[in-house]
Amino acid sequence: MKRTKLEVTRDILDILQKNRQVKITHLIYKANLSNNSIKPYIEYLLKNQFMEEVREDDKRFFKITQRGNEFLFEFSKIKIFSESFGL
Amino acid sequence: MFFSLSFGRFYGIDSLIELLIVIVAGIISWYSHRIYKIVKEENYRFFSWAFLAIAVSFMFKIISNFTFLSRVRVENANFVYVILTQPKYMPIVDFFSFILYKSFYLIGFLILFLIATRTEKKDKVLLFIYLSIITILFSIYFDFVFHITLVVILLLLTMHFYHNYNNHRTINTLLVYLGFSIILISHCFFVFSGVNSLFYMIGEGFVLLGFLCLLINQIKIYFKNSKNETNKTRSNKRYSRYTAKK
Repeated sequence: MKRTKLEVTRDILDILQKNRQVKITHLIYKANLSNNSIKPYIEYLLKNQFMEEVREDDKRFFKITQRGNEFLFEFSKIKIFSESFGL
Repeated sequence: MFFSLSFGRFYGIDSLIELLIVIVAGIISWYSHRIYKIVKEENYRFFSWAFLAIAVSFMFKIISNFTFLSRVRVENANFVYVILTQPKYMPIVDFFSFILYKSFYLIGFLILFLIATRTEKKDKVLLFIYLSIITILFSIYFDFVFHITLVVILLLLTMHFYHNYNNHRTINTLLVYLGFSIILISHCFFVFSGVNSLFYMIGEGFVLLGFLCLLINQIKIYFKNSKNETNKTRSNKRYSRYTAKK
């Protein structure tokens, strides 16, 4: 079954929470997304400060933020709320 | 000379029902706004506005229910007269609060309808707003026009929630579907409220029942998951603390 936008966001943040810093290739692989399909999620997560970009030795890593942790905490409630009203 | 303040029809029971609806709609609006602050998705913001508009509309309905009368007892020889007078501003307050009630109520359900049908095009939205204004203007003289419009909007919304229930067969989706179906039934009764006030009271009862279904859904969301979540998030928090130390 196709995952909803919320579920994909949760999956990406879950990966980030379980790892200190994650490279984009690792995210693509773990979240089961393609190079193109992950782009809007990366933009969305960065724009809403759910994760932050860290650069180390010219390599790009992603790290979960406090807001991202908050999202994961509230996720199940948000999912049921949006599901019950069909949002 | 006495002053009497009435809180609405049926000894103010209807005002009490409306106060409960204000609370329920307020809770749903607040929760949706809270989600919007986390997720930053426009849908949740508009959803929050919709329920806020419904809550505000019922506040105006409560105001319109107030009737303030001054009663003067005049004794003349063997006759006793009771003269009932209403302060000058009361009919104006009553008129405007009732118009505002209708406007906010219609706006609230219209936003819900636009969210449900995922209507985003500006021309379509403007057309709906125009039709709503026409409805409100007509309903000043013909109250049933307002209720018939709501019956149509609620029928479409109920159909949306029925499809939603078919897609996700959970108690939460069932409660929302039931809630909106009952609100739809209530407005069918309100259409005939001009004929007999009993229809009005039955309608009020159904509205309350509908919003109670939505309240139960909200309570279920809040409490059922807090149990599952605490175990999950405890381990998540422990993990993030561990990774932070690293």
